Amino acid sequence: MIKQILISDPTLRDGNHAVAHQLSAKQIAIYAEAADKAGVPIVEVGHGNGLGASSMQVGLSLEDDVTMLETARKHLSKSKLGIHVIPGFATIKRDLIKALDIGVDVVRVASHCTEADITQRHLGFVRERGKEAYGVLMMTHMASASTLVEEAQKMELYGAEGIIIMDSAGAYLPSDVEEKITALVNNLKVPVGFHAHNNLGMAIANSITAVESGAKILDGTARGFGAGAGNAQLEVLVAVLEKMGYITGIDFYGMLDASDIAEREIMPQIPVIKSESIVSGLSGVFSGFAKHVTRISKEYDVDQRDVYRELGKRKVVGGQEDIIIEVVMDLIRNRK
Amino acid sequence: MMTEALKNFTFEDCKRSCMHPDSFSSLNDQSILVTGGTGFMGKWIAEMVSYVNETANFNIKLYLLGRDIAKFKVEVSHLAQKSFITLIEQDVRNVRDLPTDINYIIHAAGSPDHRDHVSQPLRTIETFYKGTQSVLDAATRLPDLKRIVHISSHQIYGTNGLESPIGENFIGKLEPNSLSNTYAESKRISETLCSAYRNQFKLPIVVLRPFAFIGPYQDLEKPWAINNFIRDGILGGPIRILGNGSTVRSYLYGSDMSYWILKALVNGGVGENYNLGSSEAISLVDLAKKISSQINNSIEIVSKSSKESYTYLSRLVPDTSKIVKSLEVNETSALDDSISRTIIWNQLNKKVIKK
Repeated sequence: MIKQILISDPTLRDGNHAVAHQLSAKQIAIYAEAADKAGVPIVEVGHGNGLGASSMQVGLSLEDDVTMLETARKHLSKSKLGIHVIPGFATIKRDLIKALDIGVDVVRVASHCTEADITQRHLGFVRERGKEAYGVLMMTHMASASTLVEEAQKMELYGAEGIIIMDSAGAYLPSDVEEKITALVNNLKVPVGFHAHNNLGMAIANSITAVESGAKILDGTARGFGAGAGNAQLEVLVAVLEKMGYITGIDFYGMLDASDIAEREIMPQIPVIKSESIVSGLSGVFSGFAKHVTRISKEYDVDQRDVYRELGKRKVVGGQEDIIIEVVMDLIRNRK
Repeated sequence: MMTEALKNFTFEDCKRSCMHPDSFSSLNDQSILVTGGTGFMGKWIAEMVSYVNETANFNIKLYLLGRDIAKFKVEVSHLAQKSFITLIEQDVRNVRDLPTDINYIIHAAGSPDHRDHVSQPLRTIETFYKGTQSVLDAATRLPDLKRIVHISSHQIYGTNGLESPIGENFIGKLEPNSLSNTYAESKRISETLCSAYRNQFKLPIVVLRPFAFIGPYQDLEKPWAINNFIRDGILGGPIRILGNGSTVRSYLYGSDMSYWILKALVNGGVGENYNLGSSEAISLVDLAKKISSQINNSIEIVSKSSKESYTYLSRLVPDTSKIVKSLEVNETSALDDSISRTIIWNQLNKKVIKK
């Protein structure tokens, strides 16, 4: 049976992590147009941590949410406009209503992997407005397969039309992906998806393992542009999926062109797996921490590899960026 | 605020379902307590009692016990204002002393919404276990109690395999070490509590096991397929089938449901269990098509599923022969009519706003 894989492209959202949330409206317009031309089904746009997240805590974005979404909306005709929403950062009244009114088609409501309860109101609201609603579990390497099933089942009941698990730290090996995706597919009614990070060089292999285990949704970004070591490189993903007989609906040459445009227009540098990214992946630290860890470690002259190790021991999650400085201070104290 | 058109709408529904108001003559000058009285069942029981009082010139008193009386007053002000209705704001877990003139109890408290069960599993267990025990304890102190109808759930049947329709004697499997069975296990222990109180305190308890319902007062944001299909349809689509489209369900209309419950209150056998639901089975795919054809044939229907094929088919359809024969009830609303009236009521009531 020919299997269709739904591709969601967060180049303009996860990629914003890679530039400290400084993507400009012009850059958003250029890539959105290219992705639309290539037939990418969903183009996700926004601050790296999603709607309403621009803040001193996790980083101020260059453009506000309205500018980013209105710009993307203008340049997407075939592709659906998607957003990443973490309840708490994004409120329904202040952020979500505005985003839906701008014309967002797909809302992916995310929580830490053991806190699906917080997504109920947001998922319900999106469904009530007739838009597509997905549930996203982040940092899923921190929970067992059975816990992920329980949390994903909650999201399914709250109205999610698909559940995506994120390897936010790039910590998975293919065997982990197989175990977790298989458990979810067996126990959920709705399609399952996977969002990879490339800290251990496993993003494409893990994404393919996910679809071979029954996932129907994959995330990928142009040149892998994303937090830390980046995501699954979308143009490679499309090529490999096509070679394996899967259908993505994306025009391959169009995707190659979009990636070239992205490299030229929006990337100060193409994501590579830096030494510290490997340690980050091994330690299971959220990829969105990378810029902060590099900056603070440099400022206080500590080895960022030690910082990652310590953050990993403390099991920090997205939103706890302020702990980085605490860890750095502890390392300095211990050094003395 | 409910308009005249909406009031007449539910009145007409009750008229169709309650073919013989006189069959409730034994309830004249009696008082009925409904726990969960402000929910879907409570509203429909209030509508039916209102109809019977009006058309048969009876004086049936209703106590509606619920947690959010203010909301009830806003949603159904025409019922809240009725002189035969007394509203009691109380959590069912805290029921101690009930008005002593109560002759009948319909214990319908507790949400069947699975979102609540997985988000608040301990409160779910407490509501059904402690809530049932509180009500039954209080019932033992009522001087002129004649009958209790305990609203259980079809979920107590557990995994039903190929059993369809499901008869009252069927016993399926339930995995107790599972968050998703919180509600089902709570309903099972509630039924067992009823047996214990019936035996030890001689409480006259009848058990009803409801399946799925549709009609006015059914909130379309509830996480059940038919509700979501109708909402998606009113919004202009697409109607989204999540999971196995071959899943089979059946839906009893709200006014039929309330008539059947009152019949069980009057004529139900003490210690007996009855299925409460529709025997008209339909797959989710056919249901989506039916709803689409009633609203607008051009509405797109999409299926989203984790798997290509399923080894297990969920069929939750009751065998209703026992209740139909014993209590002399019938389904007066075919599924097509039930869907049509639900759509019209929601459009009249502006329950779904197209944006």
